[in-house]
Amino acid sequence: MIPARRVPWMSNVFAKYMRYRMRKAFNRIEVMPFEAKPGHSILLLCNHFSWWDGFFGNYLAYWHLHRNLYIMMQHDHLEKRWLFNYFGGFSIEKGTREMVQSLQYAAGLLNDPQNLVVVFPQGELISNHATEVGIERGIDRLIKNIKGPCQIVYSCVLIDYFESLKPSAYIHLFDCGVAGEVPFDDLVKNINTFHKKALEDQIKVEH
Amino acid sequence: MIQNKENALVRWILHTYVKALVKLRFHELVFDPVDIDPNKPILLIANHFSYWDSLILFVVNQRLFKRKFHVMAKEDTEAPLWFVKYGGVFTVKRGSRDMLKSLDYAAGLLNDPQNMVLLFPQGKLHANFVERVNFEKGVMRVVDAAGDKCQIIFAATFVQYLQHKRPTATIYLQTVPSGPLTFEQLEISYQKFFDDSKAKQTEIVL
Repeated sequence: MIPARRVPWMSNVFAKYMRYRMRKAFNRIEVMPFEAKPGHSILLLCNHFSWWDGFFGNYLAYWHLHRNLYIMMQHDHLEKRWLFNYFGGFSIEKGTREMVQSLQYAAGLLNDPQNLVVVFPQGELISNHATEVGIERGIDRLIKNIKGPCQIVYSCVLIDYFESLKPSAYIHLFDCGVAGEVPFDDLVKNINTFHKKALEDQIKVEH
Repeated sequence: MIQNKENALVRWILHTYVKALVKLRFHELVFDPVDIDPNKPILLIANHFSYWDSLILFVVNQRLFKRKFHVMAKEDTEAPLWFVKYGGVFTVKRGSRDMLKSLDYAAGLLNDPQNMVLLFPQGKLHANFVERVNFEKGVMRVVDAAGDKCQIIFAATFVQYLQHKRPTATIYLQTVPSGPLTFEQLEISYQKFFDDSKAKQTEIVL
């Protein structure tokens, strides 16, 4: 497992640079109204449908949720993109004994209310049109190991174009409760309900 | 109503620009070939979620149908009509008497087997995530007037990023069997086609 070697000034520069890149690539990045619980760290569970997802996580952490970003990445991906290690990237290797170590490491980070950990709970890239969100069992293990107050947030990013030739990203955020207070099966059910709500809200979104 | 105009040079410039733009902004366009009758014009009925729809289907036409492209656009569109009318764009003004003229004009274009007319019967832009596709009744005026002499093809476009920085547009196509159609039958068949296409799109896992 590769732990994060987050350097605050590098992370700040990267967040600003990525906002510039994203504003160039997207017509609008619209974050739906959401209030994070003060004094809580955040476990940000995101839908994984694109190359951009990690950057959406970074964007949310820095500009909207105001926490220090840490992001769980596949081991081979982090090895190839080693620079992300300095922006908060740490690795996980599915199906190995080290996986447990990565989950415990993520839980440890969430003991600090200043931190935010981005996890893609589906564990693979799935269609942006998918109506079901499968959550890997490892998330349960991660949550059980969190000792400090931690809010679980589901982020569903949906892409639409409407009147622009550039895509717009609509980020729907949902509060899934506090770690330790929501049983895993309920969490999975709630995330699926939230995901369906995001899809419904997207149809009605103003453009 | 603004009719499409002919000018070989401007048409060539527009075509080259659109092809380059689609190539630049999209990782790839994915579509399966469908059986088409080379002796009949094509009425293409598609979902409408962005300004890209016409441009993407223009490229599909270039690669697959190889017909003379025409598309009906709203008169209040932001596209520069003085220019795009040379690329096959003609306009419609909803809720006016002029609308019937536009629909009859579209049907008239379908007398020539070399032509393809693209219609977005939803009438306005909707999210790419819609479940229900509702048509405006005007589409039937074109379908009825064109009758059996044209072939109707359904198109449903979905955009996905997946592992690439630029998106991939997947276009599902289906030929509608010839024969008389009512408005309800047309809407139901398109809905079924759209649901099947969306189900295929949703299954993608990498």
